[in-house]
Order: sequence, then C-alpha cells, then structure tokens
Amino acid sequence: MSVAFSYLYDGTLEGLLSAVFTAFQRRECPEDIVTEAGLQESLFVSYEPLSTDLEQAERVQAGIVNKLGPANYDNVKRVFLSDDQRKGGIILRYLQYTLRQGPHSCTHLANPVVHDFEEVLSVVSKEAHYMLQFVRFAQLEGGVFFSRIEPKASVVPLIMDHFAERFNVQPFMIHDARHQLTGVFDTQKWWLLDARELQLPEQTSSEDEFQSLWQCFFDTVAIQERRNPTCQRNFMPKRFWGNMCEQIPAQLRHRRPQTTTPTQAARQLLPA
Amino acid sequence: MELLDKLAILSDAAKYDVACTSCGVDRQAVKGQLGATTAAGICHAFSADGRCVTLLKVLLSNACAYDCAYCVNRRGNDVPRATFTARELAELTIGFYRRNYIEGLFLSSGVLRNPDYTTEQMCEAIRILRDEYGFRGYIHAKAVPGTSEELLVRLGVLVDRMSLNIEFPSETSLKALAPQKAKEGIVRPMGFIRDGIKANYQDKRLSTVRRTRFVPAGQSTQMIIGASPETDHHILKLSAGLYQKFELARVFFSAYIPVNRDPLLPALSEAPLLREHRLYQADWLMRFYQFDVDEIIDAEHPMLDPLIDPKCGWALNHIDQFPAEINKVPYEMLLRIPGVGVRGAKRIAMARRERRLRFEDLKRLNITLKRAKYFITCNGAFAEGVLFDPVGIYNQLVADARGRRRKGVLDGQLSLFAEPEADMGAWGQAANVSPTWSAQALAAAGKSAVVPPEVAAQGARLLAAS
Ligand code: SF4
Repeated sequence: MSVAFSYLYDGTLEGLLSAVFTAFQRRECPEDIVTEAGLQESLFVSYEPLSTDLEQAERVQAGIVNKLGPANYDNVKRVFLSDDQRKGGIILRYLQYTLRQGPHSCTHLANPVVHDFEEVLSVVSKEAHYMLQFVRFAQLEGGVFFSRIEPKASVVPLIMDHFAERFNVQPFMIHDARHQLTGVFDTQKWWLLDARELQLPEQTSSEDEFQSLWQCFFDTVAIQERRNPTCQRNFMPKRFWGNMCEQIPAQLRHRRPQTTTPTQAARQLLPA
Repeated sequence: MELLDKLAILSDAAKYDVACTSCGVDRQAVKGQLGATTAAGICHAFSADGRCVTLLKVLLSNACAYDCAYCVNRRGNDVPRATFTARELAELTIGFYRRNYIEGLFLSSGVLRNPDYTTEQMCEAIRILRDEYGFRGYIHAKAVPGTSEELLVRLGVLVDRMSLNIEFPSETSLKALAPQKAKEGIVRPMGFIRDGIKANYQDKRLSTVRRTRFVPAGQSTQMIIGASPETDHHILKLSAGLYQKFELARVFFSAYIPVNRDPLLPALSEAPLLREHRLYQADWLMRFYQFDVDEIIDAEHPMLDPLIDPKCGWALNHIDQFPAEINKVPYEMLLRIPGVGVRGAKRIAMARRERRLRFEDLKRLNITLKRAKYFITCNGAFAEGVLFDPVGIYNQLVADARGRRRKGVLDGQLSLFAEPEADMGAWGQAANVSPTWSAQALAAAGKSAVVPPEVAAQGARLLAAS
C-alpha cells in the first residue's frame, strides 16, 4: 500500500495555486494541500513542502480564467479566503474535475467534488454579505471612520470595494481582529495591512451622540406586540452583536475600550 | 426639544409602517459623492420583533390634523407631538448613513396643516440630502393623500420609491376608519405616479441630457389586515388588481395592532400575525412562483388555511398533478412543489443535467425534504415512509407545522414574521369564517378529512364544518 501524501504550502493564494500546478504537472493526487499551521501529524500521511512560484501560480490563474471564466476564478479566491481547514484539497479536486470537464461542470451541484466547493463558497459569500449588513463605523479624531469585525472567513478583501465605492468621500479602516487583517481606504484607493494591533485615536465627541441616537432608534422601531427574538437571531446571529453599537446593553454603552497599539495605519491616514 | 426626544417620538410614530425595504434600484457610486444603492437592498439590523431595519424610518411630524380611527397619531389622541426641521432630518440621515447603520431614509408624515404644506416640508428635507450632501443612497417617501400633482412631481424626482397607503381593503372601511382620506385622494395619485414612471421611460429615449428619473424603484402600497371585515379572497384579488392596474412594485400587509380604543374597531386579543404571514405567502406565490390568484383562493372558500401554507394547500387541491418526478418535470412544475423555493428549483434543474438525482443528491443540493417529500418521486420512487394520500399528508403537514412553531423554528424564506399558534378567535375576527379551503376541497373531492386529536383542538371546528 502506498503511503498517502499531502503538499505543504505557505498559506498564500500564490502558494496554493503553485501546488495545484505541481499536482497537474506531476499528474499526482495529493490527499490535501495544507499549511504548516493546518498540518496534522499522522503516521499515515507524508508531507512534501512546496515552494511558491509566481509564474506557476499565474499560469494556473490564466488557465482557470480562460477555461472556466473570470467568475470562477473569483470563486476559487473566495474559497481560499475561508477558514475551512480542508480548503486546499477542496480547491484542488474542484479544479481537477472542472478543468478536465469544461465550464458546464461547475453547475454539477450534486457531484461531491463540486458540492464541497460550493458549500465552502457559500459560507464565505454569506459571511461577506453579513459584513455589508453589520459593519458599524465610528468616527475617530482626525476624521477616519473605523470598524472592528470578527468574521468567520477572511472577507476584508471581498468587502473593501463595496465600502470604498459608497463611502468614497470618507477615509475608513476595517479591522478584522480575528484574521489580523486591516483594510484601509484613503478616499483614493484601498490596500490591506497585516496588522496585529492598532493604536487608534479617540472617537470624536459627536460619535457618542450618533451612537445614542441610533440606539434610541433601534430600540424604538421594534413593535412590542410582534416581539420575536428567535427570528431576530436567525437573521442577525449573536456572534456579530459584540461589534454592533446598538446591541451593547444599555449599562455598558459609551464605555467601550479601544483597540490597541501601532498607529501606523491610522497615522498614515490622519492629517499630522 | 432635544433631537434624541424628537427621534424617539417620531420613530415610535412611524414604526407601524411595514414597507421598509431598500430594493428596486441599482445606483452606482460616483466619485466625490456619498452613497449608492443595490437592487437587492441591504438589511442593516434586525429589531427585537425580527423585522429588517434598512432605512431610517421616521415621520417628519406627528402633529397630524386628521383623525383616523386606527392611528396613534390621530388628532384626538393625547400623545407627545414633535416635528423635525428639514435640516435636522438631513443631518441625522447622513450621520447614520456614514456609519453604515442604514441604506437611506424612509420618510412619511402626519398631515401638518394640509397635504401640500406637509409635502413641501418633506421635499425640502430630501432636497438638502440630494443637493447639499450629494446623497446617492435610498429614499422612500410616503406621499400624503390629497397632495397636488405638481408637488408629487417635485417629490418624485427626488426619491427612489413612493408609496400611498390604501390603508384598508375596501372603500367602505376606509370611509369608516379614515374619514378624511377619500379613496380618490389615494387612487388618483397612484395612477399619476404610475403614469409618471412610464413617461419617464419614454423620456429616456428622447433625451440624452442628464435627467432625473422619476420614482426609479417604483411605488408600493400597504393595507391593514384584520381591522375590517374583508376576507382573504377579497384582499388577494384586490392586491392582484393593484399589481396589475398600478404596476406596483409591492403590496404590503400589516397585521392590525390595536393602539386606540374606538367603537369602530374590533377588539382583538392579539395581532393577526399568522393571517398576515399566510397573505404574504400567497403574495409570493403570485410574484415569484407564477401562480394566478384564482389558483390560490376562490370565493367559495374565501379564507386561506391557517394550518398549512398556501402552496401546500394548492398542491393538495391539485393532487392529480403530483407526485412530481424530480428528474422529469419541467422547471415550472419544480417551482410548484411545496417546500421547494426558486433557488432550489434552479439548483435541481442544473444538477439533473449531470446525473439522475436520488434523494441523497437532493440533500446535497440543500433541498429541505420536510414538505417536498410528500409530493415528489426520484426515479419513480417515493422517499422512505411516504404514503401518497392527500388526507394523511394534510394531517401530517398540520402536525409538523405545529411542532415547528412550538419549537420556535420558522418555515423557510418567508418567515419574516412570527407564527403564533393558530388562534381562531383572532383569526375569525375578519368575518364569519368559512371552512378552510384545503379541507373543504378535499371533502368535495369525496375524501373525508380525518381529524386527528392533536389537530382537533385547533382546527376541528373548521374541518368538521365541511
Ligand atoms: S393622516 Fe391619519 S393615519 Fe396619517 S398620521 Fe394622520 S391620523 Fe394617522
């Protein structure tokens, strides 16, 4: 019996695509493609570390775009942003199937390989949509609007366009505290910062007032006779509430601690 | 008065308006201007009653000159009154919008002096938003009945959606309960807005100059359910007619919640939320599932069955069209299977091109079989344990729905609202309730509806009547 093997990659999209390239080139079927962190020591699986090769990655990207269309490449990127440990293997098997079968095979939803891919994809897309709904900005001294989020997938890259368009007149930052990734927009363009901690200026004095007004509105619009907390939680899961000012219990309001340390991002954005 | 107090009063006074959606228009962002809209709309929060919060929903003023029997703001009520200045309102909207709290503004108002004066004030607030702040987010304005056409045009080019509430499902009820709002004052402007929207489309071809579109997200209306004696049949016929005649984007139903005591109003023990829910389900069948109103309800059985959803009711009454073979029936028929939504039908249609689907495959497609399983076969076979007998299915569906409600779990996509236990008392308030449609039709087909004990308590009276 041959021993099962997996590829190890560096956790970047380029790394993953290089690994896919290797699998196609060698006509191999690795069990999985994992990062160092996702590695589970097992007697029965051997791991081969692969290096990241930009050129290979670009060839895979071009292959997907040409054969399956740009929308499908976008889907691969989305699945890559998921927190699911199995994503490397899922992407590999999906590409092995669809690149061979042609673009129509992406709709083979009952096929287990396509199904796994679609399932992860829908988790990521849902999470991105939740962020469009539930991101809350607070204005900081100097004018930057700041939002802290803790999504289940690393969706900041997927939501920056949306906010950069509608809020193009205001600089803002969206800090994903769970994936330590911050999206920064300076009213011209947006970029990503790998930021473990941020030190931020205080909130502006009018911020508290707007938050109280919003809390007041939010509490008032609910109709007592129709109270339905189950329904509320179905549409707006509790895990988001911690970062939404209207959900903070009355006695804790206005005393929220700020997030911490290097000010880089905020300073770059702020007038000196 | 503090802004906070005003907001409390004027959002409290506006909360009974249910038409809070931000959909229907895709307006791209423009460099240097704040805001954009998306065709599907975005819900930014869900209040404690489970309803979507997407717009800042407030009245400009609750100091109303009218005396509608059902309304908190009626002149005769002793409640605190407030009026926003146009600027306050604009600044509040912008402040909320910039923090991603909302998609925009839903502005309505009590009648301040007279309809035209009120509309002028509303126009001013929205003009500040659009002109001074360059605001490109969503705005829904509720037009005041009796407003002049000139002002409707002024308002219409500033907003995305306009609505006039017909308030009640019949003119008699309107006359009795909202004496100052004549039917003409509501229906004429609705026709005017429809024509304006149409004229706009013609303009589009004629002129290439930058023009302002008139009510791009269409118009909607709302009626109160359960405060007057009209039947579901009457209501659904009316709303089908409204969609057709006025080309409405939406008709909303609002379960009557007693806020005033008035001899003209019924004394309900609780809001008829389940009835409202069933009406919405029927409305969805017409809008998204290609059902005709006469397929869903008829004059002989004028109330929807409270115990099962209208799609199940339809299927049971057309049991000869089932079971549907998942691998064969056309897409239109997939749409008609109870428990299968538009998305589900599309996924089935796609997936079955690759392979013959089995029940396991349906699960993989995220099709919930709970209701669907009674009405479908896969490769000629029913799901395990399914007996294809309409009476048995009816009773099973009723029992399932009650179990779900007890657990507080909601049915599928439509469950925007709570489903309390079917309370026949509140339910029957509408009129002399006749036997439920599904049960009676079953009986007419020569199948006696068996009433199991657990159903008896709730529905026995209705079922037995046939
Ligand atoms: S016009 Fe009638 S429904 Fe409207 S606010 Fe005045 S009293 Fe209420």
